[in-house]
Amino acid sequence: MLLREVEYARPATVEEAVAVLAAHEGARALAGGQTLINVMKQRAAAPEVLVDLADLDELREIGFSSDGMLEIGAMVTCAQLQGSSEVDVARPILAEVAGTIADVQVRNRGTIGGNVCVSDPTNHFPPLLVALDATFTIRGATGERTVSAGEFFLGVYMTAVGEGELLTKINVPASSGAGDGYAGLTIGAHGTYIVNSAATVTGDAARVAIGCVAASPVRATAMEERLAGGDYSETAVRASADGLGSSLDPPSDVHGSADFRRHLAEISAVRAVLQAAGRRR
Amino acid sequence: MMTTVTEQGRTLEKGFVGQSIPRKEDKRLVQGQGTFFDDVRRHGMGYVHFVRSPYAHAKIVSIDVSKALELEGVYGTITGDEVAIHTDPFFEMSVEPGGNIKDYALAVGRVRHMGEPVAAVCAATRELARDAAELIEVEYDELAVLVDAQEALKDEVVLHDDAGSNVVWSGVFDWGDVDAALAEADHVVKIDKLHFHRFSSTPLECAGALVEYDKGTGEWTLTCNHQMPGVGAIWMAPALRTGIDKLRFVTHDIGGGFGNKICLHPQYVVLCLMARKLGRPVQWTEWRTDQHTANAHGNERWFLDVEVGVMKDGTMTGFKVKALDDCGAFPRYEPLGCIIWAQVTPGMYGWRNIRVDFTQVCTNKSPVSPNRGYSRMQHLWLTERIIDIVAGELGLDPVEIRKKNYVKTEQMPYETPNGCVYDSGDYSAALDIALELIDAGSIEERRKDAAARGKLLGLGIGSTLDSGTNNFGQSTLLNPELQFSGNNEAASVKLDIFGEVVVTLGTVPQGQGHETTAAQVVADILGCSPDQVNVRRGHDTWFNSHAGFSGTYASQFAFTGLGAVKGAAELVRDEMIQLAAAVLQAPPEAIELSEGFARIKDGPPEAALPFMALGAIINANNAFLPPEFNPTLNHRYVCRPYFGMVDTEKKTGQLTLTYATQIHAAVVEIDPDTGEVDVVDYAAVDDCGVRINPQIVEGQVHGATAHALGAALHEDFVYDEDGTLLTANFYDYHVPHAMDMPPLKTGAMESPSPVAPLGAKGMGEGGGGGIHCICSAIQDALRPAGGAIVYDSCNPAHRVWSMLRNPESTRANVSVTSK
Amino acid sequence: MAEPVTSRTVSLEVNGEQLEYDVPTRRLLVHFLRDDLGLTGTHIGCDTGNCGACTVHVNGEAVKSCMLLAVQADGTKVSTVEGLAADGELTALQQAFNEHHALQCGYCTPGMLMSATALLARNPHPTEEDVRYALQGNICRCTGYVNIVDAVVATGGKG
Repeated sequence: MLLREVEYARPATVEEAVAVLAAHEGARALAGGQTLINVMKQRAAAPEVLVDLADLDELREIGFSSDGMLEIGAMVTCAQLQGSSEVDVARPILAEVAGTIADVQVRNRGTIGGNVCVSDPTNHFPPLLVALDATFTIRGATGERTVSAGEFFLGVYMTAVGEGELLTKINVPASSGAGDGYAGLTIGAHGTYIVNSAATVTGDAARVAIGCVAASPVRATAMEERLAGGDYSETAVRASADGLGSSLDPPSDVHGSADFRRHLAEISAVRAVLQAAGRRR
Repeated sequence: MMTTVTEQGRTLEKGFVGQSIPRKEDKRLVQGQGTFFDDVRRHGMGYVHFVRSPYAHAKIVSIDVSKALELEGVYGTITGDEVAIHTDPFFEMSVEPGGNIKDYALAVGRVRHMGEPVAAVCAATRELARDAAELIEVEYDELAVLVDAQEALKDEVVLHDDAGSNVVWSGVFDWGDVDAALAEADHVVKIDKLHFHRFSSTPLECAGALVEYDKGTGEWTLTCNHQMPGVGAIWMAPALRTGIDKLRFVTHDIGGGFGNKICLHPQYVVLCLMARKLGRPVQWTEWRTDQHTANAHGNERWFLDVEVGVMKDGTMTGFKVKALDDCGAFPRYEPLGCIIWAQVTPGMYGWRNIRVDFTQVCTNKSPVSPNRGYSRMQHLWLTERIIDIVAGELGLDPVEIRKKNYVKTEQMPYETPNGCVYDSGDYSAALDIALELIDAGSIEERRKDAAARGKLLGLGIGSTLDSGTNNFGQSTLLNPELQFSGNNEAASVKLDIFGEVVVTLGTVPQGQGHETTAAQVVADILGCSPDQVNVRRGHDTWFNSHAGFSGTYASQFAFTGLGAVKGAAELVRDEMIQLAAAVLQAPPEAIELSEGFARIKDGPPEAALPFMALGAIINANNAFLPPEFNPTLNHRYVCRPYFGMVDTEKKTGQLTLTYATQIHAAVVEIDPDTGEVDVVDYAAVDDCGVRINPQIVEGQVHGATAHALGAALHEDFVYDEDGTLLTANFYDYHVPHAMDMPPLKTGAMESPSPVAPLGAKGMGEGGGGGIHCICSAIQDALRPAGGAIVYDSCNPAHRVWSMLRNPESTRANVSVTSK
Repeated sequence: MAEPVTSRTVSLEVNGEQLEYDVPTRRLLVHFLRDDLGLTGTHIGCDTGNCGACTVHVNGEAVKSCMLLAVQADGTKVSTVEGLAADGELTALQQAFNEHHALQCGYCTPGMLMSATALLARNPHPTEEDVRYALQGNICRCTGYVNIVDAVVATGGKG
């Protein structure tokens, strides 16, 4: 409940932030703090330097890129996503899912960048952004690079953001008629997910990503293959999920056995796809 | 040979009593002006952090505090070695073998549960204490871990060498003739195994204390949140080798107790030693993780080899069971749990032949303490599981079989097979109200509607009792050597020089509104308004308004707490009347107290004395009073409920005095694909006799329901085989939040208690009705989907899903033999 | 200021009063409020950011002060429960809590009031569902939330 001694820096620009992160080994970026501060309270992690991103206004913007993608700054909070007309127009599932994360207080501070950089397998955004085929822009001392969702999440608490680097924005394709769905089982209302699943469905293709079952979100590729063709009837969707569970090796814990998670993965994937299919325009 | 008291308790004419007066406590609490112990500061104080064992079972090889002591700002440390030198082990309640356990304030030589305090360090700030704790080096030699109560019986891994066995206590309770009842029954229903799980009420404010030591007088002052200081002192004083009066407990506002703040004496003794050693005030606030891991859990109990005798017409004649209670690493208060369930031996039912073979064992888990519903809740859950399983197996209607077997209102006061007396209640009527509130008549329609949506709907009933006002003589059933019997509570009432009425309570409220309800009672007796009655906040042993059993626990405030207030107020009232009679020169019968005045009934307006006049006379202007007339207008009264003696051979007696009824009914919808249980409708009906403040009573019903729902669906203290608690924070140990609560309807009945001073029964614990009815509802919902039988009191999604997938394994647990 | 430090002077407004204070960078806002400023109305009920007893307003938004460092509040306006009742005059919400018996032990109450006050500021007439959603981050173990929700809805219902 009490942090170890830590140094604190509050850069004014992204360049300064990257410089401080690069200059100090064991420096961590502090975004909303809704995970990092807790982890430091437990003394499970004790970075030597906290780099507070609070003053980096350029990371708080929501807009559109020149090629029509929704561009979301890494420091955009869940509350901002919920209140954004750009998100509402371009990809409302982001606001919908953001609105189920924990509670108002957490959403007022918690950021989409923080949520993905933590890469906790039970977090809300990772499987969603994989299903949406988002791209992630990372800035380091040597410049900027863009990474696909599939390459961003590397493992538990591990992402493509390396030492001395900062995630600056996440780009999400505008929906253009695609339907998005999200389903799963939580520990209590708006609690932590036991298994979650996100799906995006267009006329002839589906993307399905499952969380909580592996170190990073899993694409249900066999299911996607079976769904290519455009039959999103309940029977077809249920059939497409056959074997999904047995292809996974999920953890067992107090909230569910591996078998239960395998089963929930199939159920969530089916529900997410059905919801997505029903929302196509 | 015990006698039963049957004289009618007087019920006060309702004035303020019976009204839902807004609480006096609220004004300070809504402004953040409550004083909780962590809000209190003392000059020069130090902050304490406990170093705790990372192992569930290990020998302590060495403790090195030197590096911690080198850190600037660290004031000092205490280790188990010092504790063993400066204190004696805490007194143990049980007989052998449990009675031989040596329980010290810190682990001495060995740790027996993860999180057990091993050392304490005190420093200038909270952060420094935490930093210093990391510098204390403890070396352990791990030992085999025991986390299963049934394994514990084998005594292969023994926690306490002094006891030589993991068995704390065991005994057989046998009333009537259950073997004959089973032989004569038309059906015998056998249930192999039922499990009541480990959880607790997790009050939002954690435990703690600010302790000061006065070197000159050898007195300690503990500004704290201990909810039963009388018992705390009984443990601590001998351990500290000091007199009871040297321990002053001061409480102000407390953020919930629910029984989890009863066994704080080990940590408090460490603080006392630290304060004395360092010569400065020291403070400790428990962390949430530590409260979950190492403070107090509720009883975990296995019910094995249950056999129930049932006649053709559905009358249950008797049952027997082996009960195995897991009290964690140290029994402490817990051996009483081996007995206390017997307050409600037959539950709400009329069976006369009951045998309970009860054993309590230690395991490498957090110690247990009297969590809300303490021991009776577990037993009542058993009786409700029994009746639902019997009804299900024999094809009987769950409502009809309950009504048939309930103790009837015309039988009240009803003596149970073991000599307890159910004072009043109408269970069938309360059940009808509950069923009406959830529109039970429409259930089949709702079931079809739910099925059309792919959901399984179920209706469940949970009937339960909240037995209140403990007879501590029941401890002699545990250990005939114990010198405890009866109960008591104290209060004082005085009229100050300016006519202010001041009340001091011996109880230790943690949110139950004692200041308000006490003011209502006093206002009615003295003829003023509750606003004129100042009830001092909290408990302070220096006020000497406490008795040996003072505290807030065991659902007894309405009886003993308010009984003491009533007694003291009546003594003051009688003196006020006599004094007014002398001053106004009228006979006492002609005097009444009303609206803040003592006046002649129907007399002229000038024949009235304000309270201020009476107070002034006694305190400052008393020369004219004759020498033999010496009113003080300041009285302390001890309410001593009458129980008679307990028979230790037959294990019978009046173990408690009042029985509040709570009947809960729930409608659930289960998602068969995930096992998730959604509570779509809920009703709780409470009958606690006279309700002093109906709104406060209803608030307690709401709170007890929320606790029960949390326990029924999510809250579970689960251990792995290394003795690690897997649910040590609020992410994994999910308690109900605002969005988790179902639409909650409440109903109330008033069957006044013939034995309680105000006709009001204690009802704060509730009896776990929510747990019983959710289990019942789930079982009902699963009937068309394999007919699984609910065997555990906690049913999160994964368990329900297992029951859907493999109902046979739960059904194999149950068998019926019919003639 | 990009140079890492272990203590910092923060300049902030607390309940309308402008303050300057030297704080260690590791100090949580909740401890700063309680221990340094003596504003003990804000409470601590857990150590993982779940319970909401520590809820305060930072720049008008409800946040959990146990997940903010005091240094992060530099340059902000912080309001705590002590700032609600001006000169002891209870707000309509505080009065409603009293009338509806929306508190028992009172430990979660400051956090509840701050969350509910923030809700009413942005949604003056919330439905029951709105209220439960807004209070989802505030745990109560005494009341079962029934009367708390009633009190907030009732406050919104007036005027």
